[in-house]
Amino acid sequence: MQKLLETLLIGVSTGSIYALMSLALVLVWRSTRVVNFAQAGQAMLSTYIGFEIASRTEIFWLGLAGAITAGALLGAGVDFFFMRVLFKRAVSGPAAVVAPVIATLGLLGLIRSIVGLIWGGEFKSIEAPASKDGFTIGQTTIPFSALNLLIIATVSLILITLAIIFQRTNLGLSLRASAYAPEIAQLAGIKTARTRTIGWAIAGGVGGVAGMLVTSYNFLSPYSLDLLLVFGFIAAVIGGLESMVGSVIGALTLGIGLTFILNYIGTSLVFIGGFAVLIVVLLLKPDGIMARGKVRRA
Amino acid sequence: MELWLEARCAVRKKIAFFILLGWLLLFIGDRIDELRVYQGAQIAMYTIALASIVLLTGYSGQISLGNGAMMAVGGYAAALTLNKLESPVWFAFLMAVFFSALFGALLGTAAARLSGPYLAGTTLALAVGLPEIANQFAFLGGVPGILFDVGFPPARFGEEFTQYKWFFWIATFLALLSLFITSNILQSRFGRTWSAIRSNPLAAELSGIHSSRMKILAFTISSALAGLAGAVLAMTISLVAPGAYTLTLSFALVTGAVLAGVSSLPGVLLGALILVAIPEIADVLANSWGGGENFSNYLPGLIVSLLLILSVIFTPNGPGENLRRHHHKKASEH
Repeated sequence: MQKLLETLLIGVSTGSIYALMSLALVLVWRSTRVVNFAQAGQAMLSTYIGFEIASRTEIFWLGLAGAITAGALLGAGVDFFFMRVLFKRAVSGPAAVVAPVIATLGLLGLIRSIVGLIWGGEFKSIEAPASKDGFTIGQTTIPFSALNLLIIATVSLILITLAIIFQRTNLGLSLRASAYAPEIAQLAGIKTARTRTIGWAIAGGVGGVAGMLVTSYNFLSPYSLDLLLVFGFIAAVIGGLESMVGSVIGALTLGIGLTFILNYIGTSLVFIGGFAVLIVVLLLKPDGIMARGKVRRA
Repeated sequence: MELWLEARCAVRKKIAFFILLGWLLLFIGDRIDELRVYQGAQIAMYTIALASIVLLTGYSGQISLGNGAMMAVGGYAAALTLNKLESPVWFAFLMAVFFSALFGALLGTAAARLSGPYLAGTTLALAVGLPEIANQFAFLGGVPGILFDVGFPPARFGEEFTQYKWFFWIATFLALLSLFITSNILQSRFGRTWSAIRSNPLAAELSGIHSSRMKILAFTISSALAGLAGAVLAMTISLVAPGAYTLTLSFALVTGAVLAGVSSLPGVLLGALILVAIPEIADVLANSWGGGENFSNYLPGLIVSLLLILSVIFTPNGPGENLRRHHHKKASEH
């Protein structure tokens, strides 16, 4: 019983970080119809900047703020200087289907190399803002720590903020409108291109938080966020790539599921488990758990 | 002339061309130093791997970011066959082809139902995850990997005949064979069917093409080629290890294919040449700028990514496209 509860708690903590990454992917997908594989790179660069700030000031939260700012600027920059150029040159021919995907892949490689050139490949770590030792209840110590709690709290705060932005503000309304029907939104006077760039900025900031939180209990290297990207993608697919709520539910489910595999079966099956979930969802419910009989686009 | 006779004639011409090309390459191989011979073997390896992407992406229109994973399957299959069964080398290569084709068929069955971003993400997940999986199982040798030793060159080639030259011969032979078979497949009914599915899936279905079956077939053949390339890669480094089939390799292959022009089979030679040349150029640059370890580690990646981005933006269908377009313009003016 105790092990079950521990697994559940750790799973929620892990899943909440996946939720941020998958939200970032979903936000970009909704507005641009591109799965942004460079998200891992953007998050990594933002995290390195956060790492520099955090290690100089020795205040984690300043680093986090720096990572969010850097991520948002980077996201907006990628859309403005890169995606707009790409889409302006309407691609035809055999490469038409694959060009945007390959472009984000190139960007991931570019950011990775730049990070490598500046910081090198060695592992960095950021001082965690809370204790990594598990809580002690009575006589027993459980693996769930203050850091895990803090991660869940931070992610919840961000999710609530996003929910308020999307449901209660004009900005949120125009973001949703231009994702749902770009042409009609444009006719209604929304500057869709600018809205899209704002969407990319939000996604970038959220990705930066994900990177900082992963790094707070792990290490940072030019490759350390690849797995986060993959699990974020799987979570987004569970949610159907379109739905923000769906992707958060998908991420929590995935986090809990993988933690169960880790605790009850062993590390060797964690990745295979995640991949199996991806394949099963794609084959049985390709529109995701939130689908209401709508046909998948693209 | 009757059509079949014409076709047979064309095939004969092609065989003659490939044999001539092979002779030429072997002739060159005798006259360059060891390092270049080794790089020749690498070029041959990349040629096979890029042909697999051209077939899959350029013809059948499916994207795979996980060719490194397919190569890993081939490499491990070859090494396990050679080590556990103590089989002859040619049989190990055959098993590499067989098992990676099997893997490709399984993957293709899932992939045929996926489009664009879903397929890209799934294959990317595979490329990230497969090295992790190889790390977890003892019989795959973990991080250090397992040895793959094709043995010394036969004694009858003489004392002068070096190990690298032997690699070069094997790799070149396999590359030419793969190119010959692939070019025949692409010019056959299958190649045309794949192009039809890619450019207009609905029209293809309406004219009676069983598109998911054809897509699975494309995945299977492409994976078989990638697996062969994986075994050749294992041969040149005498090892199969997770570190050899990284995400970086998958990305490099995509870059090579885009540079080659995704639907041009002769282009793969150019793509392969560039992929081998880039680390060399990066080394020269790193030395001349006096950069440290970071430079030599990350400069090749920087160049590859920049090339990839620039070519996707400016010539997404390969350098050949712009030339052709130019040509068309000229022709229509007259």
